[in-house]
Amino acid sequence: MIKKRLMLGLAAALIAGPALAQQAAPAVPGWAVGRPEGSTLAPHGPTLTVTPVERLPVAALRLPAGFSASVFAHGIPGARAMAEGPNGTIFAGSRVIGRVYAITRNADGTTRTRVIAQGLNNPNGIVMVGNSLFVLALNRVLRYDNIEANLDNVPPPVELTQAFGLPGEADHGGNHFWKVASLGPDGRIYTNVGAPCNICSIDRDRFALLVSFNPDGSDRRIEARGVRNSVGLAHHPVTRELWATNHGRDWAGNDVPNDTLIRIRRTGEDHGYPFCVGNWADPQENAGRNCSEFAQPAALLGGHVAPLGMRFYTGTMFPEAYRNQIFIARRGSWNRERLSGYDVVMAKLDAQGNVTSVEPFMTGLLDEANQRFLGRPADIHVHSDGSLLVADEQMGAIYRITYRQ
Amino acid sequence: MRLSVLAAAFLAAALPGAALAQDAARGAELAAQSCVACHGANGRSQTEDIPSLAGQPADFITLQMILFRERIRHVELMNDVAANMPDRDIEDLAAFFASLPPGPPDERRPRDAALFAAGQALIGPRHCGTCHVSDFGGRAQIPRIAAQREEFLERAMLEYRDGRRAGADTQMNGAVVGLSNGDIAAIAHYLAQLD
Repeated sequence: MIKKRLMLGLAAALIAGPALAQQAAPAVPGWAVGRPEGSTLAPHGPTLTVTPVERLPVAALRLPAGFSASVFAHGIPGARAMAEGPNGTIFAGSRVIGRVYAITRNADGTTRTRVIAQGLNNPNGIVMVGNSLFVLALNRVLRYDNIEANLDNVPPPVELTQAFGLPGEADHGGNHFWKVASLGPDGRIYTNVGAPCNICSIDRDRFALLVSFNPDGSDRRIEARGVRNSVGLAHHPVTRELWATNHGRDWAGNDVPNDTLIRIRRTGEDHGYPFCVGNWADPQENAGRNCSEFAQPAALLGGHVAPLGMRFYTGTMFPEAYRNQIFIARRGSWNRERLSGYDVVMAKLDAQGNVTSVEPFMTGLLDEANQRFLGRPADIHVHSDGSLLVADEQMGAIYRITYRQ
Repeated sequence: MRLSVLAAAFLAAALPGAALAQDAARGAELAAQSCVACHGANGRSQTEDIPSLAGQPADFITLQMILFRERIRHVELMNDVAANMPDRDIEDLAAFFASLPPGPPDERRPRDAALFAAGQALIGPRHCGTCHVSDFGGRAQIPRIAAQREEFLERAMLEYRDGRRAGADTQMNGAVVGLSNGDIAAIAHYLAQLD
């Protein structure tokens, strides 16, 4: 409790500035540490208006032979993390637009979208536990019981914010506070607590973590430390190991550090933030640490490509070679001189669960020659019918990928 | 007018997802009903605490209007104005204000040399021009801050610093972290004096 209060005090001091802090404000703000002089790289703005269906880039999508893509749902600005209810409703969370969508299929195959929650702060943590939809929005945790029976008139959710006790926006200094959520094979809810900065020294028991909870918010357990900003989590369907995507820091170069796919072999193992990413020592925050003392990434995914949602393919529609392989949505870079990512890749695993390669799966959204992008894949969902859903946050659409021999 | 329409078309082409059918003329009609009384007939606000919109990037105006409509950004009057507003109205309003030539309010306070210098000294190390562009004219979802009303700039930065406002992302919250009230006043004065 005292520790918690101290942390809050520290956060307040950081925010209030010189009034409380002993030393003067840093000349260079945390986000810009390491930034080269004269750079004008900035995050791409979101599109939060409805994109007409005829403007969706579905015809541009490229897939391996036998696969095809169609529009599953559209007119859902900012749609990101997806979850499926037992009766087939697809729920989609968002970030800045603050909405949670529910997408149901009509008898004629078209879809109907409802906004079931709005005005939330980055409701990107979406997970079904039985018939209940959990929404993690910043540090708010809301449980919508029996949601699929109440889509037209959603009752007020059960508020579990206190029970989970996640750090708030001020604690994060405005950084990496959005959540991803996934249900583990042990029935626990897995989520992330991002780093409160681009790169800085942190309380490593409080930030840059993967954590799990009982669904009532009790029994918090640190699953992994030193994970800067994960926005994708999934458990291997056979080994039950936790895997995650992780974003590397900005402003250290076009190709370093790599964004990574990580595999958590032991509860609580350390993945190196802020000291190292794999064998790459951070130029500002390494603090003399040997990178070999930290868990090494399962795969390097490229600098700044922004891997978000990841799922093991557990369906039967795709060929056998795809079974239990990992699909990863790479939302695409901003902190890099040339655009990179904007695709879905597949990490291939061998029988021991080692990644043998990372291969393109869904491409076509990056216009390399003109340095523009046509969409930004943000999450993957393996539909109960075996197709693969890909949420395109920028276009406010969900694509459905099917396979036919 | 033709130039501004061309400029809007260029912006739309440059940014995926921006609607192609923005109609600045229709936006002007909508603005006459519900915007210009506060934001100024020429988009340059003469009203304290109300920002100028002339020359703001269309994407910036669109984004902020949606944040108002969704009650993510809290300004009661604007939440009411934007309530239930269709995307098309928002995009047309944005195209209209983006087409107007920017400029300072008529009664801009005289330059305070010491405050101006203090602001200028902070702008470089804070890397404001990285996102807002070297002339602080903004781009895409990032606003024009040159010649904006001084007290509005000051309030916006205080809100970002104190976690009472966020943009499309949290870059601004990170950008102003640790600044004192005096620092923010100096930066606001410097930017307000630019043309």
